[in-house]
Amino acid sequence: MGFNAESLEELRGEPDWLRDRRQSALATYERLPSPSKTDEEWRRTDVSRFNPSDFSKLEHLDGLKLERPSGLPAGVILKPLRQAAMDHPELVEPRLFSLVHADRDRFAALHAAFFTGGTFLYVPDGVEFDQPVLGQHLSHEGGNSVLPHTLIVAGRGARFNYLDEYIAEDDAETGYRTGSTEIFLGEGSQVGYVAVQKWGRKVWHFADQRAELGKDSTLRLFNVTLGGKFSKTRVEASLAGEGANAELKAIYFASGDQFFDFHTLQDHRVGNTRSDLLFKGALQDVSRTVYAGMIRIEKHAARSDAYQANRNLVLSDKAKATSIPMLEIDNNDVRCTHGATVGPVDPEHLFYLRSRGIPLQTAKRMLIQGFFGDVLDRIPFEHARKLVEAELESRIG
Amino acid sequence: MATVPKVEVGTDYKEKYGFFVPEEYVFKAKRGLNPEIVKEISWMKQEPEWMLNMRLRSLEIFRKKPMPTWGADLSVIDFENIFYYLKASDKQSKSWEELPPDIKATYDRLGVPEAERKFLAGVSAQYESEVVYHSLQEKLTQQGVIFTDTDSALRDHPELFKQYFGTVIPPADNKFSALNTAVWSGGSFIYVPKGVKVEIPLQAYFRINAENMGQFERTLIICDEGSFVHYIEGCTAPIYTTDSLHSAVVEIIVKKNARCRYTTIQNWSTNVFNLVTKRAMAYADATMEWVDGNLGSQITMKYPSVYLMEPGAKGDVLSVAFAGKGQHQDAGGKMIHVAPNTTSTITSKSISKGGGRTSYRGHIKIYPGANNCKSFVKCDALLLDDESRSDTYPYNDVDAENVTLGHEATVSKVSDEQLFYLMSRGIPRAEAETMIVNGFIEPFTKELPLEYAVELNRLIQLEMEGSVG
Repeated sequence: MGFNAESLEELRGEPDWLRDRRQSALATYERLPSPSKTDEEWRRTDVSRFNPSDFSKLEHLDGLKLERPSGLPAGVILKPLRQAAMDHPELVEPRLFSLVHADRDRFAALHAAFFTGGTFLYVPDGVEFDQPVLGQHLSHEGGNSVLPHTLIVAGRGARFNYLDEYIAEDDAETGYRTGSTEIFLGEGSQVGYVAVQKWGRKVWHFADQRAELGKDSTLRLFNVTLGGKFSKTRVEASLAGEGANAELKAIYFASGDQFFDFHTLQDHRVGNTRSDLLFKGALQDVSRTVYAGMIRIEKHAARSDAYQANRNLVLSDKAKATSIPMLEIDNNDVRCTHGATVGPVDPEHLFYLRSRGIPLQTAKRMLIQGFFGDVLDRIPFEHARKLVEAELESRIG
Repeated sequence: MATVPKVEVGTDYKEKYGFFVPEEYVFKAKRGLNPEIVKEISWMKQEPEWMLNMRLRSLEIFRKKPMPTWGADLSVIDFENIFYYLKASDKQSKSWEELPPDIKATYDRLGVPEAERKFLAGVSAQYESEVVYHSLQEKLTQQGVIFTDTDSALRDHPELFKQYFGTVIPPADNKFSALNTAVWSGGSFIYVPKGVKVEIPLQAYFRINAENMGQFERTLIICDEGSFVHYIEGCTAPIYTTDSLHSAVVEIIVKKNARCRYTTIQNWSTNVFNLVTKRAMAYADATMEWVDGNLGSQITMKYPSVYLMEPGAKGDVLSVAFAGKGQHQDAGGKMIHVAPNTTSTITSKSISKGGGRTSYRGHIKIYPGANNCKSFVKCDALLLDDESRSDTYPYNDVDAENVTLGHEATVSKVSDEQLFYLMSRGIPRAEAETMIVNGFIEPFTKELPLEYAVELNRLIQLEMEGSVG
């Protein structure tokens, strides 16, 4: 058994164009070799022990729970992605996998060929609503694949928030998981997007998130990575219209033998654009994390501001954080800074708290909370903020 | 100076550009690279057999290693079209007066006599492939300091030489260290005995002066326990029409409690490929400082590194790069923490102008067991126009416990506010920009001896005026 043309048959009842697309992605998956350690992106990320075919049983269709905000304005389309592909091909076909390319690597191809659940959200021009859309992707059993894909289209001046939650019923389950997202931001739109990944601690997780920002649009994207024994997330913002503003934030908390990998890209394709990235993580036990980020300012993207920071709090002697912040700047009329730090809890801070009679464990916890505090404030909407705070609280203990 | 018998002279060189000085060569190996050329070089130098064998072995390694595919584009280098050895005169001159007049004329332009007058130090100036001028201050000799060219060191201090040569950078380290080991010639050799502090910087000037001439100098510095030395290497080259290759290897050993500072001001002409491997081993409580300025060359790939071998060792890289039209400065530094309780800092300042490209490329590696290390990297880039480009590629690998690692970088242009401030005080725009650029690299210039700082400021000024290509 494996991922092959036969298993594609399981995903019946889709329009021809999607079927063709899946087949072509499957061909790409079969053609591409597994990433090797000589590829810069995979040098520190070992996938040699991951064999997707071990998990080729697809869990789908019922893996998605969509919570529609009450009183959703007219014209808003919110439905499972596969359903939307049938009902609204004119909206889905030109966009699906146009930002997250199926041929980028073997795992992207596999996801594009076999994505199962997922959401399609279309918000027409000028439509705003406050209550967030909540998409919950659930895995009910282990040993299989759960491969959701989210496609969000914001019309001109649209304003809304969306939350993707990846939830395991059993924390000890194994499997292959993805959670990719494409977001199109029309002129002047404002989108808040939060992804909370809390799959089981033994799964392999791959996520590709990519947003394209039109003129004067604002994206506030927030990632929370907690689950998986292996989790690789790519977060990419393509600033394609003047005045676009992307805020890319993330927190991660790795413990046990978890391995998290983040690759980010802030691609300033035109001038007068702004991006602000902050990824903060804490590591315990023998966990490892890799962060590699790139700011690219293209030739004519003058008057752009780009910030990139990765902060790692290493709570155990055996945990390891790698941080590689990169810049490629092709225009001089810009402001760019980046920074990365890796280090333990500041002994002076600890000393200060302890000298005031606070026990060591409590002092440590306070410092970890403080470490995450400033970035938690940047979670774009209340519902997600509460959720993340609770998750974090239970892990910091 | 007696007339030099010519063994073989390149005949088709014409005076073309820059302050070209007619060549007068004692010996010039044929173009190209093969075991015969290597044997010829070794024979000309009357080297011991172990060195010949090492050269031949390195040539094999060079042939087997693939070209690096990262960094700058090196595919244009034609290794078969390069002279691998020249010898300008058949014996070493003992004083300035004895130097051949044409060589003197070139050095006059470079200001070597002034430097000598100012420093009253040993000058070891390299013309073409071998050191032709060498003066060693008596005091240094009295202190037991050896400061000589590397060829003489092999002859005169064979035990010391064999003990350390190739131990910091083995031939197989990379393609260009293999090439250098196969065909090396010239360079400086310094040995500072235990507890000796060399108060005045030791200097050497290196020059490329023959078309298609590869220069493969080899420098070896040994700082024994508790010693100190500051070595200054400055490079300039006249402009030629075809590409030249400069591929040096610098090995430094800094023993317990010793300190070594190595200062480079690289100003090769803008058709030179400058591919240099520089590495130091720092032992217990030793300090190694690289002060590295890259102004010239078409392509530079150079990442001075420090291996922090024992607790308490400290490594420091201070790097400045200036890339003008057609230039790519791919520079940075490497800190390899092998032992616990070691610290390192890398400070990089880069300026791009007229379509030039500067890249910071660095590597911090902290090995398992090298606990309680601290490392900090700071990169600032200034882009002077919208054609230029700046990149930052820092690689960090931490495998130890309780490590503090920091990286910071900024990229910006000359700030309008600073310009406005200066111009509102009647300073013309061009001058104001130059002042801002000089201010930007000040952390670097203030580490240089005065005359070098002056020279660097002057070079920046020339670059800013666009009068230097």
